[in-house]
Amino acid sequence: MSLSRRLLLSATLVLFIFLGLTGLVLDRAFYHSAEQAVRGRLQGQVYSLLAAADFNELEKRIQVTEPLPDPKLSSPQSGLYAGIYTRSGQSVWKSGSSLGMNLPRYSHAAMADWYYEQLTDDDDRSYSSVSFAVSWEDQQDARFQFNFQVLEDNKLFEQQVGQFRNELWGWLIGVTLVLLMTQGVILRWSLKPLREVALDLDRVKSGDMQRLSENYPEEIRGLTGGINTFIDSERSQRDRYRHTLADLAHSLKTPLAVLKAGINRKPQEDQDIDGLQDQVDRMKQIVDYQLQRASASGRATMGVHSPLLRNVERLTDSLQKVHAGKGIVCRLDIDAVLTFPGEEGDLLELMGNLLENAYKWAAGHIRVSAQMRVIGQTKILQISVEDDGKGIPEEQRQLVLQRGKRADETVSGHGIGLSVVQEIVSVYGGRFDITDSQSLGGAQMIIEIPSA
Amino acid sequence: MRILIVEDEPALQSQLVETVSEAGFIAESASDGEEGLFQGREYPYDLAVVDLGLPKLSGIEVIRQWRSAGKDLPVLILTARGRWQEKVEGLEAGADDYMVKPFSPEELLARIRALLRRSSGWSQSQLECGPVLLDLTAQTVQVEGTPIEVTAYEYRILEFLMLHTGEVISKVDLTEHIYHQDFDRDSNVIEVLVGRLRKKIDPQNKHKPIETLRGRGYRFALARTAG
Repeated sequence: MSLSRRLLLSATLVLFIFLGLTGLVLDRAFYHSAEQAVRGRLQGQVYSLLAAADFNELEKRIQVTEPLPDPKLSSPQSGLYAGIYTRSGQSVWKSGSSLGMNLPRYSHAAMADWYYEQLTDDDDRSYSSVSFAVSWEDQQDARFQFNFQVLEDNKLFEQQVGQFRNELWGWLIGVTLVLLMTQGVILRWSLKPLREVALDLDRVKSGDMQRLSENYPEEIRGLTGGINTFIDSERSQRDRYRHTLADLAHSLKTPLAVLKAGINRKPQEDQDIDGLQDQVDRMKQIVDYQLQRASASGRATMGVHSPLLRNVERLTDSLQKVHAGKGIVCRLDIDAVLTFPGEEGDLLELMGNLLENAYKWAAGHIRVSAQMRVIGQTKILQISVEDDGKGIPEEQRQLVLQRGKRADETVSGHGIGLSVVQEIVSVYGGRFDITDSQSLGGAQMIIEIPSA
Repeated sequence: MRILIVEDEPALQSQLVETVSEAGFIAESASDGEEGLFQGREYPYDLAVVDLGLPKLSGIEVIRQWRSAGKDLPVLILTARGRWQEKVEGLEAGADDYMVKPFSPEELLARIRALLRRSSGWSQSQLECGPVLLDLTAQTVQVEGTPIEVTAYEYRILEFLMLHTGEVISKVDLTEHIYHQDFDRDSNVIEVLVGRLRKKIDPQNKHKPIETLRGRGYRFALARTAG
């Protein structure tokens, strides 16, 4: 399921539950208050009826002064009806509105007590009814009880509630639709960068773009940054392969040409054969150099880290053994927590070449130091290898540091190893520099590798 | 000096054997890891050259097993790819030096001599004991500054004795390190050679450089002067 569909679905669900509950609660509340209002109205009608009614002591009967204050009681079938009954339930008075109607009688009436009930007449019409009993005394202290009843046709109440419900649910559905639409628009807007990334990736794939832009919201910048790192490393890898292939082909052409010419001349003398041998050796050397470069083609794999100190120790232990006769003292100033942001093989290749060079030229002392430098957002692993040899002359430094040198042009002595260092460092997007060592007086090799 | 060469590529193997033999060493070869392991364990070699990429048993494994069997001969490893990971693993397994193919014969011999020297505690390629000076690289002998003509076998005996100055070397040891393994050990050729050497480097019999310890062997008796 797509992200926007998931978000929309969950938002819709939450909205429906929330607004549905709100609707139910409002509906209940309104219903109760409407019911309450009906009771209040009916009580009021009873009071006004009581005010209009009077007990005739002589005739021992009730008299109602008409017209009643509420005209609805006088107009026939208005929906509001009233009646007065004797204690035994005999009707003594009926409102004008109840003319021709067969209204249901109350089921219970008590002195000075409101009694509410829902009643149904023979035609299945329902009514809200309130009944109330009053007693009068005559001069002989005889008591005469009369029961008052007021009814209201429920149609009115139901109309009211129905209208409220229509309005309430109409509004709620309207609000839901508006919210959902807003939600949809917000989603489209929020997910736009993701669609753009996909589009941009298509463009990168088709070659219309070199890499993803940097202008994405920060939540996905990590992702796009990662993709860019990947794209860049792939591209530089490809470039390197192309360069390497071109270099290889070019540098093999010359000795091949010499060989071809030499064989055509049908070599007889040792001297001629030696000449051909030289070309073969040269070709071998070229192949070897390119192989070594290819094997050192470290990948800036994300997330891989190798412990620095342990691997440098492995190398210095090994080199100490190889150069046992020279009595070189190698000092390591490396914090054990430091790691190299890449594979162990690349680290060994990198430091192996630097250290081999140092062991080759040092008179007696080598110092390896490393530190993690933090510059703003980026961390940079800086490794320095110093020796107390005679250093590398300025003009050779430039040759060594130049990238993409052809095998037959490398400087003897410092050649292949340091070129490989340069190669790996550039794969990792770092820097390689050669200076004079301040503390030991020989050469100082400094590499800087950006570390995530 | 007897050297074992473990290399599976026949052309390179015969080349190595030739180079090493021409330089005055006894070269014997093995073509795979298992054979190399066996020979190195059974015979007293002074040094081994081991290719890392061997059939049956890798070079690293061969070295590891020699070391755990108590063999402490110096080992020079050969690698084709020259990755540091490989070199470090080889050296950690017990090798003493490495070379990346292709290499020149001169470089190989220089490394072999350096390793032999180092394993006997000498740090320079000129061994000097009193008036006797032996140059490992040039393979020459001088006494009191005068060059002495010695034959190849005489040189080998002197070289072995001087590299192990002060140690008692039995006749069998000497034979084993100077001749191929199929050499007839009962002959008295060693005594003859030692006798000739004595006459050449000490004609007046005043320094007595080579002692004979009856029933035990020989000892180079002059103390190290330098190196």
